[in-house]
Parts: sequence; C-alpha cells; structure tokens
Amino acid sequence: MIKNSQTTLSCILVILFGFVLFYVGTDGFRAYTAETARLYKLMEQNPTLPHVTLEDSNSRTYPISDLEDKYLFITFMYTNCGTVCPILEMNMGQVFNLLPEEYIGEDIVFLSISFDPERDDPATLAEYKSHFYNADGETWRMARIEDEEELDQLLETFGVIVIPEGNGDFGHNSAFYLVDRNGVLIDVMDYTKMDEAAERVISILESEKGA
Amino acid sequence: MNQFIYGLILFIVLALPPVSNLLESIMIVHMHMQMPLLVVAGFFMGHYFQLRFPEFFQRWNENGIPGILLFTIIMIYWMIPRTMDEALTMQSVQLFKFISLPFFAGVPLRDSWPKLSLRGKNILITGFTLMFIGMGLLYVLSPEQLCNNYLLVEQITLGWGFITMAICMVIYLAYKTFINEADYE
Repeated sequence: MIKNSQTTLSCILVILFGFVLFYVGTDGFRAYTAETARLYKLMEQNPTLPHVTLEDSNSRTYPISDLEDKYLFITFMYTNCGTVCPILEMNMGQVFNLLPEEYIGEDIVFLSISFDPERDDPATLAEYKSHFYNADGETWRMARIEDEEELDQLLETFGVIVIPEGNGDFGHNSAFYLVDRNGVLIDVMDYTKMDEAAERVISILESEKGA
Repeated sequence: MNQFIYGLILFIVLALPPVSNLLESIMIVHMHMQMPLLVVAGFFMGHYFQLRFPEFFQRWNENGIPGILLFTIIMIYWMIPRTMDEALTMQSVQLFKFISLPFFAGVPLRDSWPKLSLRGKNILITGFTLMFIGMGLLYVLSPEQLCNNYLLVEQITLGWGFITMAICMVIYLAYKTFINEADYE
C-alpha cells in the first residue's frame, strides 16, 4: 500500500514537472513558436533603432536618424523575392491607403528596408518601387543598408532572421515594425492584418494629437 | 554493463559538436533521428541505473505509469516548434535537450515499458499515432514558417516524416490486432 502511494505521488510529481516545463517553455502557454516568443520578448524590451545608414531608391544616403522625428512604419524585404515580400509590400501599401492623408509624410514615413544590399542597388529599388502605386520615394521609401555590420545589427535588434537558401533566395520572417519618434520600437504587427495595423497606427497618432 | 557502455558511447558521439551540428542542420534529421537516438542512448544506459538503484525504480515507478508519463511529457515538449528553434539558438535549451531526452525519456521508458500491460502499451502507441498524425498535419499544412531556423520546405518534409511514422504505427497496431501470433509458432 505504501509503495503504491509512492507511485501515485511520483505520478503527481511528474505531472507537476510537466506543467512547469510547458509553462516556462511556452511563456505561460502563449508562445509555441520561436517567432511568437520573439515578438513577446521584443514587446517587453522595446529596443531602439541602432545607427544605420540608408541608401534609398533616389540614391540618397543618410542616417536613419534623419527620419526619426517621425514615426516609422518598417518592413524588411528583398526585391528578388517571389513569395512573401510582394505580399508584404502590397499589404504595406494597403495600410498606407488606410491612413488619413494628413498623417502621411507629416507624422509617419513608410520604409522598406532590403536585406540584400548586394543586388538591391538604388536602380533596382527604384524599379521595384514602381510596382507599388503609393511608393513615391518620399513618404514611402525603399532603401538598402550597404554596411553589412550595420545591417546585421539592425536585423538582430529587431529579431529579423534571414536564412540564405543558396540559390539567391532567402527564407525570412515578416512583420510590420512601428518605431516612434524617439527611435523606439513600439509594436511588431502581423503583416496579414492590415486593418488592425492601420487602426493601431491611427490610434497612436490620434492620442498624440489629443495630448 | 555492456549496454551502458554502448549507450554512453552513442550519447558521447551524438554530443560531439560536429555530429550534433550536422544532425541539426536538417530539420527532419534533428527531430526524427537525433532526438530518438538520444532516447535510445538513454534506453541503453537505463539498464545500469536499474541495476544500481532497483529500490528507487521499484518504489517510485512500481506500475510503470509515472515513468511513461514522464517519457510522454518529454517527447511532446520536444515536438513543439519553438523548442527545436531554441535548442539551436540557446545553449541552455540545447543542454536540456541532451539531458532530458536520454535521462528523462530513455531511462524511464526502459523501466516502464516491461511493466505496462498490453493494453497500456497499445494505448500509448495509439496516443502517439494520433499525436504524430496531428503534428504531421500541422507541419505539412501550416502556411507559416513555424521554425525560424528552418525553411518551409524542410517543415513540410518533417510533416510527411511524422505522417509516415504514424502510418507505420497503424500497421503495427493492425498487425497486433488481426494476427494471432500463435498461428505462426
């Protein structure tokens, strides 16, 4: 009888252990993929934009801090991408459309950053930009970061993982990144939910105006 | 004792950085080869622990159920997409993988399996079959990349690996159900 109760006790201990293991391993049953875990962590850390130098589709070179007095709506892509990036950029264009015109360029700048600087020179970016109706090169800019160290640092800070596939393509995670006027990352949003992203941006900008 | 040595050698070989890096570079090999081999290593080493601490296993795992529960929990844990990613990016998770799979899954499986009734064994295999079908469908059908360190195409391969394993287990269960072994003896 005593032996039996010990086995029951060990059953309970094992289940408790399992519960704690899963609780810790999934951030309290919330994050089952590294991507969701990354987003939760990013949201808690609120990292700031590292210093990077952009070269945009108009061949202008400037530090990203030049844009920092405005909110930045950022995506990461490469022009040769045939799968996710066109959708990502199209969806970005929809968010652009959903925002009231008064904010565009005044309070917020859209920025598509290429992580393939070797091929995405200003001419290529300009050509790619032309596929997106709203991308005017001013209020929605496309740019590359030529300095590899700077690019890597930005990708790491924002948790963007890029895996070269060997044939010139990359596997990568995609999201909308929102950076505030102080260069602090304040939100990472699902790139397939344009309405939600637009609402979020509008509510932030409106509350700022109200204040 | 021999078994322990074989298990230990297997464990050490798997833990060698070039070996583990190679196995982890391919998603399906990571989950369906490296991880099971770690369990196998623990399974072999388990014999030594059984001989060394018979009292412990007798007392705390009398009917095999706690051990098999622990085994199942550890196996499910390592099927979560996130844990595979983190094993690659975080040293502590990698260390936990190399400890938990042999010692918390392999060893208890060794001790528990013979203690389970036939029914218990069939329930366990059926459970794993259902789980593998579920995981297989998840990895095959998910439009999103579930692991940041592996490409979508590898994920689909892994999903089919799961489904293949499930099919094998279904065949085994059918064989156990429909074939009377005594007829062939």
